[in-house]
Amino acid sequence: MNQIWGSMEQYNTVVWHWPIAVYLFLAGLSAGAIISAIVIKWMKGNDVSPWDGIIKAGAILAPVTIGVGLLLLITDLTRPLMFWKLLIHYNFGSVMTLGVLALFVYFPVVLLFLLGVFKKELVENGPFKFLAPIADLALSQAKLIESVTLVLAVGVGAYTGFLLSAMNSFPLLNTPILPALFLASGVSAGISANLVVGLLFFNSSTNEGNVSYLHGLDVKVIFAELFFLFILFVGMMYQGGATAHVAKAALSTGGLSTLLWFGVIGLGLILPIGLNFALPHGVKHSQGFVIFNALIVLVGVMALRYYILYAGQTFVG
Amino acid sequence: MAKKYGMIHDNNLCIGCQACSVACRSENKIPESVYRLQVWVNGPTEYPNGTLGYEYHRQSCVQCENTPCVSVCPTKASHVNEEGIVLVDVDLCVGCLYCIAACPYQARYVHPVTKAPDKCTFCHESRLSRGEEPACVTVCPTDALVFGDLNDPKSKINQVRSERVTYRQKEKLGTSPKMFIVPNHKGGINS
Repeated sequence: MNQIWGSMEQYNTVVWHWPIAVYLFLAGLSAGAIISAIVIKWMKGNDVSPWDGIIKAGAILAPVTIGVGLLLLITDLTRPLMFWKLLIHYNFGSVMTLGVLALFVYFPVVLLFLLGVFKKELVENGPFKFLAPIADLALSQAKLIESVTLVLAVGVGAYTGFLLSAMNSFPLLNTPILPALFLASGVSAGISANLVVGLLFFNSSTNEGNVSYLHGLDVKVIFAELFFLFILFVGMMYQGGATAHVAKAALSTGGLSTLLWFGVIGLGLILPIGLNFALPHGVKHSQGFVIFNALIVLVGVMALRYYILYAGQTFVG
Repeated sequence: MAKKYGMIHDNNLCIGCQACSVACRSENKIPESVYRLQVWVNGPTEYPNGTLGYEYHRQSCVQCENTPCVSVCPTKASHVNEEGIVLVDVDLCVGCLYCIAACPYQARYVHPVTKAPDKCTFCHESRLSRGEEPACVTVCPTDALVFGDLNDPKSKINQVRSERVTYRQKEKLGTSPKMFIVPNHKGGINS
């Protein structure tokens, strides 16, 4: 189609740009960090202070990453000063509204978790003495609050997938597997970030058994991600027509497909799996390797979010 | 019964003259570099008998009945009024651009001044409120555009829809546009 007169710039189908991809990454990471911290906390022997370094890492990462992500999201609005209207006007049919409502509860409960875990540093010896009753509540009702947090974290991790899959004009985004893929990769990113922060900043309190457990769990989650990616593209191929064409284009065209094969699949999924099979036990469980492995997983998850967002909007059939 | 406005673009009568596009810009004071309406030309296409011809495409909001843009809007800034016209309440808009991304017809753009999405409104705020037809329809020299109330069996649009074959773009998405297209008599239909 040729236009006869006028600029075609506004007809670009890529509407959401990299800040959205970074937000999708950070929201997934936040959810994954708190999920894996709670999982560790619920394991035998970890439910009492002094907390394991992994729990401390998750307690800090969950609120910080979602906070930074939301700030980025707000500044990316074309009318950022109007953002508060999102908080008081709802459309219950919109995934974005449902996300806002989930975050309304998610943000306070992850802060509550942070306050409980760092009660000594923040409340007893820190500047937040006036929050002592809330910190006590966070600890006395820990199990209940953590159960609620776990459900909300799954919601936050998955809603970013629904946010994209709700748009039925983008075949690569409009697939039922996308929320599951985003949740899995978010959990993987959260585990990895917890391992990095736990080992680098809370080394003395990080239990080696917990590190091995999470590291092993990460490899399993990566297998799930790989399978979800496979389902995504095979499913699109079987739908035939324009959707199959979009799948082929997304797998084989330009820099985006290079990012998928080398960044997402090669670096982020195959390399961690391969190294975990190939390396001897001693190396595999060394701190250096665990941190290196976690970092490449994080790069891979960021690449996945970037790829899905851009390829989804670029290849429209 | 409430009105339900729709439009027909007749591909056989359209000559791609751009009068509609210019009239739209002038009537709605559209800033430079953005467009509520463009007319694109496809071709020349070779017909089976070896002759050549053009297809014209009206690029604007198709006024869906099942509106992806309204469904995704988190603040209900995007809404459908009682006459079936899809509108944006700038006051409620935060500029998340979810509606622009969700629109399968690329009908929306960011207004350079308000920074909120803007689109064809069938001249709802100006001509329609005065009982006049949209500017594009009025200026069309070949009467390729027909406008009217789909709920009124006697309306001109329903007369034409009863006499001519029409189709709607991307019907498989279930959006039910109220923009009907009379396809080119020659060759095949590329919906």
